[in-house]
Amino acid sequence: MTSAASTDTTLSDDWARRVNTLLLVVAGILIMTPTVWMVLSSFKPSFEVTAYPPKLFFTPTFENYAQLTKTTPFLSFALNSVIVTVGSAGIGLLFGIPAAFAVSWTRISWPALLALAARMAPGTLFLLPWYVMFRQVGLIGSYTALILSHAVITMPIAIWVLLPSFDNIPRSVYEAAQVDGCSLTRILLRIALPLVGSGIAVAAILCFVFSWNYFLFALVLSNGDTKTLIAAAFNFVGEGSTQWGALMAAATLIALPPLLLAAVVQRWLVAGLTLGAVKG
Amino acid sequence: MASISIRNLVKNYAGFTVIPDLSLEIADHEFVVFVGPSGCGKSTLLRIIAGLEPISGGDIFIGDMRVNNVPASRRNIAMVFQDYALYPHMTVFDNMAFALELRRVPRSEIEARVRRAAAMLHIEPFLERKPKALSGGQRQRVAMGRAIVRDPQVFLFDEPLSNLDAKLRGQVRAEIKTLSQELRTTMVFVTHDQIEAMTMADRIVVLQAGVIQQVGTPDEVYATPANQFVAGFIGSPTMNFFNVERSGERVVFAGSDRPVPLGEAAATRVAQSGKAVLGVRPEHFAVAPDESAGIPIDVSLVEPLGSDTLIHFEVAGQPAIARVDPDVRPVRGNRIALRPVPAKVHLFDGESGQLLS
Repeated sequence: MTSAASTDTTLSDDWARRVNTLLLVVAGILIMTPTVWMVLSSFKPSFEVTAYPPKLFFTPTFENYAQLTKTTPFLSFALNSVIVTVGSAGIGLLFGIPAAFAVSWTRISWPALLALAARMAPGTLFLLPWYVMFRQVGLIGSYTALILSHAVITMPIAIWVLLPSFDNIPRSVYEAAQVDGCSLTRILLRIALPLVGSGIAVAAILCFVFSWNYFLFALVLSNGDTKTLIAAAFNFVGEGSTQWGALMAAATLIALPPLLLAAVVQRWLVAGLTLGAVKG
Repeated sequence: MASISIRNLVKNYAGFTVIPDLSLEIADHEFVVFVGPSGCGKSTLLRIIAGLEPISGGDIFIGDMRVNNVPASRRNIAMVFQDYALYPHMTVFDNMAFALELRRVPRSEIEARVRRAAAMLHIEPFLERKPKALSGGQRQRVAMGRAIVRDPQVFLFDEPLSNLDAKLRGQVRAEIKTLSQELRTTMVFVTHDQIEAMTMADRIVVLQAGVIQQVGTPDEVYATPANQFVAGFIGSPTMNFFNVERSGERVVFAGSDRPVPLGEAAATRVAQSGKAVLGVRPEHFAVAPDESAGIPIDVSLVEPLGSDTLIHFEVAGQPAIARVDPDVRPVRGNRIALRPVPAKVHLFDGESGQLLS
């Protein structure tokens, strides 16, 4: 009886594993197909990108990449992206770190929920007010406008990634610091921050990725000098025709930094995101 | 060094009154232990003294200073936490030096004070280690070292021994007591372990539901407990309680006609109260030479401890334990007679639980 039950369990476990593997493969294909198609297309001659049926075997060419630098100030756009992304991630962390610490310290969670709501709301909701406000103060097309608007994306990420990290520090450690003579600011700087280093790294990476990939604000609030890569790539989509090869090359280059970052810190990223989810 | 004065303290928490009205004076250099069951408010009271909990009413003085609104960081107290609360990212040295650095004590003095405290606690070899590389006992010592280097007005200990194993607990207990005698600083120690309270305290404060039940020296709370709660809390095994009543000229176990061999004075006190509770510590039973000289009992369990023997029995349906000489070794089912030592028994009011005087 026991043996039969044990065999049944092993069989069902085996099946569960197979189904899991199948689902993962399907999910992997669904996720990776557009990416693989994008990368392959970036190495195809322009006329072959939209060929039907798609050509799997072709002679790779770098002409799309060459076109990027020839026809657009691609490096300037890349620099713009770096400035906006680093700036907004920096502001997101600068305000997100003390905000997350304050929420964790006071256990008053509504400010964090409010920040989350701001993150969840569609960007178009902010776009018009941002546009009007920045125009009033003459900041349309400036880095400031882009960095501030992107901070709306990055700050909630910083808060929500760091909140479990701060919550994970035993309360008594904070209290010991209080008794030792620390003010709240000192507790944050001397005790809490060194203990949430990995959380800060994860938050910084996620802020970078989300800001880097954010299209809408850059499209409307930038100008020719401050356009970010992702908004600049949109220039390859014309009214009459689209330069698919160049667009794919641009998209590949744009996707590269976040993908590389994610690959390098993959294990760290998962650990950071699940920090505090279970009692260690 | 400072005294602590708590006057009419009230603490409400989330609509509940945790401490209704508490007053207590702790003298300079005194080692006071707050003891009581879980939820009695002892840790809350300690945290209030530390400045980690706001109060809802009353006053607290440390020395001459009213500290009601003084933050923990400026009360010049040191606290040892139950989980040690060491800074995980700092070495032992840095953990101990941190408070001094905040006070801008010169580096050479920090070095000297940390080394002196480390020597006192035998943790010198670990000064460059991080807390995760230490055992529980070593962490405990570092936590104490962190408190000692501060040279505070008051030391507060929040159940610091509860995470240690029994052997280490006894050792650290002795070390804390030695330390208190060397440092001569006011110390407040919270524990739910009455043995810790009895062995370490100059005075014990027994708490229940945020109310002080008794304040006294270990001998006082043991020998003359103010009420049935204190009597039951202090002592191990705990005091035996028997419901008794007056029957004619005698005192009998309630609901039976079995007489309790007590003197005339005790009988008078029971008569005054109507229903009373007799309290006899296990060690205050003596084996009587015959049944007429004591209470005949049937032995239900014998626990030989080497130093003495515990005998479990029932009287009039009420379970009890007697601690007798190790040579006395009855077996289960034996009938023997036990006699409470009259001078050592306690009588409590059956309704209020207060000691009948």
